[in-house]
Amino acid sequence: MISSQRRSGAFAAALAATLGIVFGSILTVPAPAAAATVVKIGADLPVSGADATNGIPTRNGVILAVDQANAKPLPGGLKFEVSALDDAVQGVHDPAQGAQNVKTFIADSAVLGMVGPFNSNVAKAEIPLTNDAGLVQISPSNTNTGLTKGDDAKKLRTSHPDVNTYFRVCTTDDRQGAAGATFARKLGLKKAFIIDDNETYGKGLADVFESDFKRQGGSVLGHEHITKGQQDFKALLTKVHSGSPDMIFFGGTTASGGGLLRKQMADVGMRDTKYVGGDGISDEEFIKETGDMANNSYYTVAAPETSKLPSAKAFVAAYQQKFHSNPGPYSANAYAAAQIIIAAVLKGVKDGGGKLPTRLEVRQNVAATQNFDTPIGKIGFDKNGDTTAPILSFYAIKDGKAQFISQLNLKD
Amino acid sequence: MDVFLQQLINGLSLGGIYALIALGYTMVYGIIELINFAHGDVYTLGTFFSLAILTLLGVTGVVTGPALILVVAVTIIGAMILCGLTGVIIERLAYRRLRNAPKLAPLITAIGMSFILENLMLYWRGPSPVSFPAVIPNPDVVLGSVTIQTKQIMVIVLAIVLMLVLQVFVYNTKLGKAMRATAQDKDAAQLMGININTTIALTFLIGSALAGAAGFVSGVYYGSTWFLNGFAAGLKAFTAAVLGGIGNLAGAMLGGFLIGLTEAMTTQFISDQWSNVVVFTVLVLVLIFRPSGLLGESLPNKV
Repeated sequence: MISSQRRSGAFAAALAATLGIVFGSILTVPAPAAAATVVKIGADLPVSGADATNGIPTRNGVILAVDQANAKPLPGGLKFEVSALDDAVQGVHDPAQGAQNVKTFIADSAVLGMVGPFNSNVAKAEIPLTNDAGLVQISPSNTNTGLTKGDDAKKLRTSHPDVNTYFRVCTTDDRQGAAGATFARKLGLKKAFIIDDNETYGKGLADVFESDFKRQGGSVLGHEHITKGQQDFKALLTKVHSGSPDMIFFGGTTASGGGLLRKQMADVGMRDTKYVGGDGISDEEFIKETGDMANNSYYTVAAPETSKLPSAKAFVAAYQQKFHSNPGPYSANAYAAAQIIIAAVLKGVKDGGGKLPTRLEVRQNVAATQNFDTPIGKIGFDKNGDTTAPILSFYAIKDGKAQFISQLNLKD
Repeated sequence: MDVFLQQLINGLSLGGIYALIALGYTMVYGIIELINFAHGDVYTLGTFFSLAILTLLGVTGVVTGPALILVVAVTIIGAMILCGLTGVIIERLAYRRLRNAPKLAPLITAIGMSFILENLMLYWRGPSPVSFPAVIPNPDVVLGSVTIQTKQIMVIVLAIVLMLVLQVFVYNTKLGKAMRATAQDKDAAQLMGININTTIALTFLIGSALAGAAGFVSGVYYGSTWFLNGFAAGLKAFTAAVLGGIGNLAGAMLGGFLIGLTEAMTTQFISDQWSNVVVFTVLVLVLIFRPSGLLGESLPNKV
């Protein structure tokens, strides 16, 4: 019931927006203030379940950017709104749900761009849809390399192979995995056992880590894949333990097994073995699930640590003021993504002499983004849709808290 | 060899949990020929009931000394009673009216019950894994290079003891006799003065209570629980019941241990991601050569 009311409300808003545009252009009278032209920014992120500890702060980044845009004077009664949907089903991010949400955005003509998704396998289900509809999407956190590069990316652009609608403000796993390997070697680790969750993101990251770790002189004792919803890791960990590695690399997320795996390491006598992962285990949930086993875990994040970044000072202060909490690892990225879409819409309005731009025009403006000022630095997109300012951060969990170690700017 | 022995222990512990769940599947199937898909979720409910009882008792970590026995006993019995009652309620509300309906109707109802229970648990404890206190202290038994955890011993011993108690109950008591009679022929049993409604409710009570015990055991064993755990565990336990010969108590136990061992050994000697494939291949092979399961034919008295 609630959802149908919400949907009819969205429909009414869309109708009002459309009418506003139609009458505005025919009569060439500026729209009255009461009938504000609403432009919606879609936000498709996992905000329930184990993914929520990362999803909610990320969504907050979008909300903050939209609020700040509305606080400034906007042309022609323009007003931005966030249309936020959840792509987690029963607590775990779900590609089918993500695709469903994108269809909802596409059906709503007021949506001119979207931020999301959070997870790479969800992106795989969404890119063909946004590509077909010409709706621009910017992901704050998808790191799987194949989403933008090479033949894999071309296969995703099913309707318009030449028109890219998918962009991201974080760097890719070919870099994250390689940085993870360098990081592990710097920690003095030599023998790794690799486990991944067989998802787009997890397996991609683990494969890159494996080849880079070997190249940097480390040895890989084995590479195993776990299954979604798996509860028992004791047999697997017993096998891992028999080779006595000094670290386990996990490619995947807390929700897809990264937490339980770490927790059960205590049961097979691997309490002190180091645990290294990617940004998939960078959430609060990981620490909550693993308890005291969280310590001695290390991970990379494909975003800068905002508290250490001079350009992010104002963002962090505004975020804390509005949400009474600290930003998550991907809040600033989501904020930047929303900023870029808002700027693209505003540029379209300006170029069109007050008329709202089409989705394709917004896409065009996003694609042309260069040296755009955001809290995470000056951002532009290359021809694949990847950021031209890739930054990685390294963290360690000590005394039950994530601690920032260092940052790597791959542009330098 | 050491790794083999270690995996043997892992497999038997995992199998013990499957076996306890499988007993409930096999009992219900034996008596009313219904695959009770909600049974796996009753097991998950058992972990949450245990967690609630432990929270009431104020247990947040390891318990030592005589208090340990008390805590374990109170929690297991509490979880068994609560799950048993849940089973009886499910039977009364969802299955009893459909007892003479076509087979498909109760089957679909069982799937529906499973979703209802899952969503109730989602509502109750949220969608993330929930931590479970360790309870059992851990002076591991070390035999050479093989380490056996106290909780692993608990799983295996509890599974075998409960199965034996059940076996004695079914074959040596009046109520057990009533259950066997009802399983053989409901109408004839009724003519002999057996209240089949009570008898079937009793079957659900016992089967679900065993799932409650499995719930406590798995919570302690894994240190966490999740509202959807029952789906995968229930599927494996059902497979165990079929493998051992559905309707046969010893068969359910044997099937449970075999599947646990198969999983552990596949993980060790092939690969973790193949464990499900191997488990179900074994099932298919067994069913081709022995369609009624490993112990299905040798003991005709199903329960």
